[in-house]
Amino acid sequence: MTKLIPIDPAEARRSSVVAGREVPVNAYRSNPAREAQIFGRDGLVRIYRDMVYIREFETMLDRIKQEGAYQGITYDHLGPAHLSIGQEAAAVGQSYHLQAHDFIFGSHRSHGEILAKSLSAIAKLPEDNLIDVMERYMNGRPLRVVESFSRGGAKDLAVDYILYGTLAEIFGRENGFNKGMGGSMHAFFSPFGVMPNNAIVGGSADIAVGAALFKRVNRKPGLVVANIGDAAMGCGPVWEAFMFAAMDQFRTLWDSDLGGNPPIIFNFMNNFYGMGGQPQGETMAFGVLARVGMGVNPEAMHAERIDGYNPLAVADAVARKRSILEAGRGPALLDTVTYRFSGHSPSDASAYRDRSEIDLWRQQDGLFRYGQYLVENGHAYQSLLDDYQADITERLTRVLAAAVSEEVSPRICTENDGVGDLMFSNETRDRMEEGKPDVLIPLNESRLSQTRAKQRLGLDEQGNRLSGLRAVTYAEALFEAMIHRFYQDPTMIAYGEENRDWGGAFGVYRGLTECLPYHRLFNAPISEGAIVGTAVGYALSGGRVVAELMYCDFMGRAGDEIFNQMAKWQAMSAGVLHMPLVLRVSVGAKYGAQHSQDWSAMVAHVPGLKVMFPATPYDAKGMLNLALRGTDPVVFFESQRLYTEPETLEAGGVPVDYYEVELGEPAVRRAGNDLTIVTVGATLYRALEAASVLAQEHNLEAEVIDLRFLNPLNYEAIIASVRKTGRVVLASDACERGSFLHTVASNISQLAFDDLDAPVTVVGARNWITPPAEMEAAFFPQKEWIIDTIHERILPLAGHSLSTDQTTHEIVRRNREGT
Amino acid sequence: MAQAVVMPKPGNNVESCVLVSWKKRIGDQVEAGETLCEIETDKAVMAVDSAFSGSMLAQFFAEGEEVPVFTNIAAIGQPGEIVDALRPAGAPHESSSEPSAPPEVQSRESAHGPTSHVGVEYREPAISPRARRLADQNLVDVSTLAGSGPQGRIIERDVRAAVEQQQLMTPLAKRMVAQGGYDAPSHGTGPRGRILAADLAPSAAQTPEQQETDDYESIPVQGVRRVIAQRLLTSLQTTAQLTLTRSADAEALLTYRERLKASGEPLGLRDVTLGDLIHFVVSRVLKGHLDLNALFEEDIVHRFNSVNLAFAVDTPRGLIAPVVHSADSLSLSQISTECKRLTAACHDGTIAPADLSTGTFTVTNLGSLEIESFTPILNPPQVAILGVGGIFLKPVDEDGEVHFRKQMSLSLTFDHQAVDGAPAARFLQDLARGFAQVDLLLAV
Ligand SMILES: Cc1ncc(C[n+]2csc(CCOP(=O)(O)OP(=O)(O)O)c2C)c(N)n1
Repeated sequence: MTKLIPIDPAEARRSSVVAGREVPVNAYRSNPAREAQIFGRDGLVRIYRDMVYIREFETMLDRIKQEGAYQGITYDHLGPAHLSIGQEAAAVGQSYHLQAHDFIFGSHRSHGEILAKSLSAIAKLPEDNLIDVMERYMNGRPLRVVESFSRGGAKDLAVDYILYGTLAEIFGRENGFNKGMGGSMHAFFSPFGVMPNNAIVGGSADIAVGAALFKRVNRKPGLVVANIGDAAMGCGPVWEAFMFAAMDQFRTLWDSDLGGNPPIIFNFMNNFYGMGGQPQGETMAFGVLARVGMGVNPEAMHAERIDGYNPLAVADAVARKRSILEAGRGPALLDTVTYRFSGHSPSDASAYRDRSEIDLWRQQDGLFRYGQYLVENGHAYQSLLDDYQADITERLTRVLAAAVSEEVSPRICTENDGVGDLMFSNETRDRMEEGKPDVLIPLNESRLSQTRAKQRLGLDEQGNRLSGLRAVTYAEALFEAMIHRFYQDPTMIAYGEENRDWGGAFGVYRGLTECLPYHRLFNAPISEGAIVGTAVGYALSGGRVVAELMYCDFMGRAGDEIFNQMAKWQAMSAGVLHMPLVLRVSVGAKYGAQHSQDWSAMVAHVPGLKVMFPATPYDAKGMLNLALRGTDPVVFFESQRLYTEPETLEAGGVPVDYYEVELGEPAVRRAGNDLTIVTVGATLYRALEAASVLAQEHNLEAEVIDLRFLNPLNYEAIIASVRKTGRVVLASDACERGSFLHTVASNISQLAFDDLDAPVTVVGARNWITPPAEMEAAFFPQKEWIIDTIHERILPLAGHSLSTDQTTHEIVRRNREGT
Repeated sequence: MAQAVVMPKPGNNVESCVLVSWKKRIGDQVEAGETLCEIETDKAVMAVDSAFSGSMLAQFFAEGEEVPVFTNIAAIGQPGEIVDALRPAGAPHESSSEPSAPPEVQSRESAHGPTSHVGVEYREPAISPRARRLADQNLVDVSTLAGSGPQGRIIERDVRAAVEQQQLMTPLAKRMVAQGGYDAPSHGTGPRGRILAADLAPSAAQTPEQQETDDYESIPVQGVRRVIAQRLLTSLQTTAQLTLTRSADAEALLTYRERLKASGEPLGLRDVTLGDLIHFVVSRVLKGHLDLNALFEEDIVHRFNSVNLAFAVDTPRGLIAPVVHSADSLSLSQISTECKRLTAACHDGTIAPADLSTGTFTVTNLGSLEIESFTPILNPPQVAILGVGGIFLKPVDEDGEVHFRKQMSLSLTFDHQAVDGAPAARFLQDLARGFAQVDLLLAV
C-alpha cells in the first residue's frame, strides 16, 4: 500500500522460474591453526570451561530432580527443569562472539544459553563495569549474598553471581534474577543481554524481532538471536515473525541510514525432538530445517545448517551472520544441529528413542570431543581440563548451599499481595528515552491544526447534535492523543495493517503519514500474532509502541502474544521490564460473525493487562493520553459505531489541550435516583435512550454509568449509585455469556447486597453469531431490551408492552439450549 | 566406600515408583551407565542406570514393591563392604520381608448428625434484600404484603407503601414490638391512630410458664399487665404530672339520678348511671377549658374543640379506656347509651380499634370502691385525667352553720408541661359547680 511501489502487469504476468539460493549444510571445515589465531589459546580453553559450567550446572539440577541431592546437599525442587545436557557446544559457540549489548531470547530449555551468554559478557566487560551491574541489580541484594561465599577476584564474583542468580531464580527465590517469578523457563538477566526465555514453544521468535526492530528504530548497536527449538518450526507465530523480519520495506522504503532489516538471527536449536515428536521425518516435512528459509525471501534468510556439536563452527556462523545483519540484509536463519542426552523433562521415560541412538550421540559428545581437540592441538593438558571439573563442582556446591537455604535465599512474601505489587509498573513517562523525535513536519503544520479548528462540542446552542464534519469526532480525538505522544516520545512507533497512507482501516491515523517517517508508522504484514509479539519485544526493550489489530475479532490470531506475553512479562520479570504497549482493537458491527465481537471479557480475565473502553470523544482522547504516558500494557477497545460521533455528553467538549482521564474511574453520564444502568462501550447511548423513555413514560429517573475501565476499576461510584437506587442493570455489546458485566454484577451483589431491591441483571448481545447487518437489532442490545429487562426482572412498569422475552424462564431456556 | 542407588523422582508429581524388575543380581559386577533395574510410574516404565562401577552389594527392595522417591534401593561397592548404613529405615531385609502391621486406623465418628434436606413446604414470600431491610426498620410484617415486583416479589415500594399506611407508633411501642412478645394492631388508640404500648397485644407464642416455689409465687409480668406497667411507668417518666384534689357537692347529682331512676319506661332514662352523669358534666365543662382537652406531643400542645372522652373500664383483661367521641355534642342519654355499649364491648373483648382511638381527656372512677381521693396517672399524650372518688357526708359551712352534705372527691392529674396549676384549679372549680348545678347544664 504505497504509491512508491507501482505494480506493473507486464512484469507480473511475464513467464520465468524462481531459482533458489543454495542452503549450505555443515559447511564449516576445522582449521586448527586459523582457529588458534581467531580465538587464541585463552579463548579456546574458555569455551571448554564454559561448556563444563553448563554441563555440571545441569547435572546438578538433574541430581536434585532425580535424587533430591547433589554433593550431599539435599533439596526437593518442585518446579520444572528442562535440561540441555548434550547441547552445551551450541550455546557456548553462539555466545562466544556476542557482546553484552547483543540480545539472546530463548526457550524452556535455555539454562545453558543464560550461562554461556553471561560468561561471555563477564569475559569481555571490564571489572568495574561488572561490579557496577551487580551493585545496581535489585539494589545489590543478590550480590551481598554472593559476596558471602564467593572466592577470588571480581570476575570470579561475577561468575558466582550468575550461577547463584540463575539457580535462585530456578528455585523461585527472591534473590533470583526475577525474584523467582520467572523460574526455570523464564529466567533472564538483561544487563548481560540475556533476554526473556519463553515457556511457549516458539514464543521468542516474534518478541526477538520486536527487540531487533527496537535496535533499528532507535539506532542501537547489536544484534538479536531468537533461540527456539526445531519443533517451533510448526508454530504460526514463528512464520509470522519471519514475514515481519523479512519485509522488503526495511530496505526499500525506510530511511537507509537506519540500516535495513532488523538484525535478527532465528537460531533453531535442532535437537531433533519436540518432546516426543520428531519434526524431521515425522511431524514436519522440511527434511533439512534450514530449507524453510528458501520460502521466505530471495536470500533464503541466509539459512544454513551448522554443526552444533562443534562450538567453533557455531561461533563462526554467528560471526558471519553478524556481518550480514550489520549490512541490513537480515534476517538470518541457523539450523544448529545438536542433541540432548537428558530427557525432555524429569518425567520423560524416553519411550520415543532407542538407547543406542543416545549412545551414538554420546560417543560424539561435543564436550568430550572438544576437550580432545584442545589436548591434541596443545592448548591444554588433560589435567587442566580435569581441574575445571573439580573447581566447578566445588563452586556449584557453594552456590547450591546458598540457593537452597531459606534464610539466605527466602521467597517473595505473598502476604500483603507481594506478587500483586509486581503486576503493574504504574509509572508515567513523557518519553521512554530522551531525544528529538523523528518527524517530517512541524506539529502545527499537521492535520492537528484542522481537528483543533473544529467545534469541540458536538452540540449547537439549542442542543442539536452537530455532524462529525463540523465537530471533533471520536476518531479525531484518538488522532490527537496519538500525534501528541508521537511528538513527545522519540521511541514511540505505531503499526498494524493498513496503518500508513490508509490511516488505519477506520482512518484514525489519517494525517500521520505526512508527519512520520516509515520507521515510526508502517504497515505490518497480516500477521496479528507477530504484530503483537513484535510490539511486546519492542516495549520490553524500552520503547513505546502502539499496535493495532483493526477488528477485535482478530485478537484470536494473537492469543498467545496478548495473553501470555504482553500480559505476563512485567510480573514475570519482577519489574525489571516495562511494557509500554498499547494494543488498539476495534469492536465492529455490520460485518457479520467474525467482525462484530466485543471480547473485552477475555482480556479482562487475564491478569496483567489494563483494559480501557472509552465511549465518548472526550474519553477517547483522555484515556488514550493516559495509556500513552503509562508504562503498562493496555488493551484499548474502541467501537466502530462511535468513530464518527462528536462529543455530546461532556459539556466542555473535547479539550484542545492535553489532559488525562483518571485511571479506573467510571463516569456518571446521567444522574437519577430510581435505577442504575451501567454500560461498557457504545451501548451507553442506547442506555441513555432507555433512560429518557423511563423518565417520560414511567416517571423513573435512571442513573447511567459508563464504566470506561474494565481493569483496574474503582467500584466506589457504582456502589454509591446502587446504594441509592437499589436497582441495577448492566448492558454492553458483548455476548451475554461470560460477559465482563457478569463480573461487575457479581461484585455489586456482594458489595451492595442489602441495598438491592432486585437481582443485578445483565443485558448482553445474544449468544449467537452476529447475523447480517440488517438483522443486527435482534443481536445487539437495544433500548427496548433494557426496558423489558427492567420490567421483567427489576420493577414491573405500569402499562409497558414488551417487545422481547427477558423473563427468567428465558434465561433458563437459553442456557439449556446453549444459546 | 559403598554407594547408594537412589529411587529417582521421574516427574514433578511422582512420590513413589514401583520397582518392576532388577536387571542385576546381588554379587553382579556393574559398570557405570548400566541399567540396574526398571521402575514404573503412573505414566511410564523407565530404567535406572548406575552412576557407579562396582559390585551389587545389596538390594533393599523386592520386585513389585512400591518405593518412595529419593529412597536408597541398592548399594554398590567393593565385595565385603558393610552396607547397613545405606539401608533405608523401614526397608525389609532381603531375607525376611514381613509385612509391617498396618497403622491403626482410628474410626472417627461425625460429631454432627447426617445432613438431611427437608423438603421445603413453606416459602416465605420472595422479598428483595432492600425491602427486607426497610421492613425490619419499620416493623412491617412482610407476610401481610402483596409484592408488586417480578413474580410477586416484595420490593422496596411495597414496603414503603405499607410504612406510609402503617399507623404511627410510639417509640415505646416500637421497642416492645422489636423486642418481641407483642403484636401491633393495625390501628392504635393514640392520636391520629398512633399505636401506643397499651395497644399491643401479647403474641400468641408468648404463654409464660409460671414458676412456683415453696413460699412465694413468681408471676411474670406479661401481656396486658406488662403493657399497663410499661405505659404507666412511661407516663410517670415522661410527663411532669401533679394532682389537685377537691370535693364537689353531689346532692344535685344524686337527686337527679333518683329522678331518672323513677322516670317512666318510655323515656329510656332509667339506666343512666352516676358515671354517665359525671361524663356528661365533664364533657360540658371541658368546653370552657380547652387547655385541658388537649394532647402534648413533641413540644406541641394540640387543643381539641370537641371532647373525645375516654373513661377507664376495669375488665378481666386489664384496664381499657374506650372513647366517647364528640361527647360534648351528645345528650345525656346518648352518652349513657354509648358508655354502656363501649363498656360491654370492653368486657367481651369486641371493642373496635376505632373506639379506642383519640381520646382527648380521661375520666377514671373509683367511687364505687369508696376511695376518698387518689392520684390518677396521666394517659399521655393527654394532658389531664380526672379521678372520681366516693361520695361521703362532709360538714360544710352554710351561712355560719355546719351542715352535712354529700360530697364527691375529685382528683385532677395534669401535665404541668402543658398546663399551669391555676387553670387546672379553675377547671376543677367549674367542674364542682357543674356537678352542683347539673340540672342547669342539662338545660343548655
Ligand atoms: C505453545 C506450546 N505448545 C506446547 C507446549 C508443550 N511443549 C513444551 S516443550 C515442547 C517441545 C518443544 O520442542 P522444541 O521446540 O524442539 O524444543 P526442545 O524441547 O527440543 O528444546 C512442547 C510441545 C508448549 N510449551 N507451548
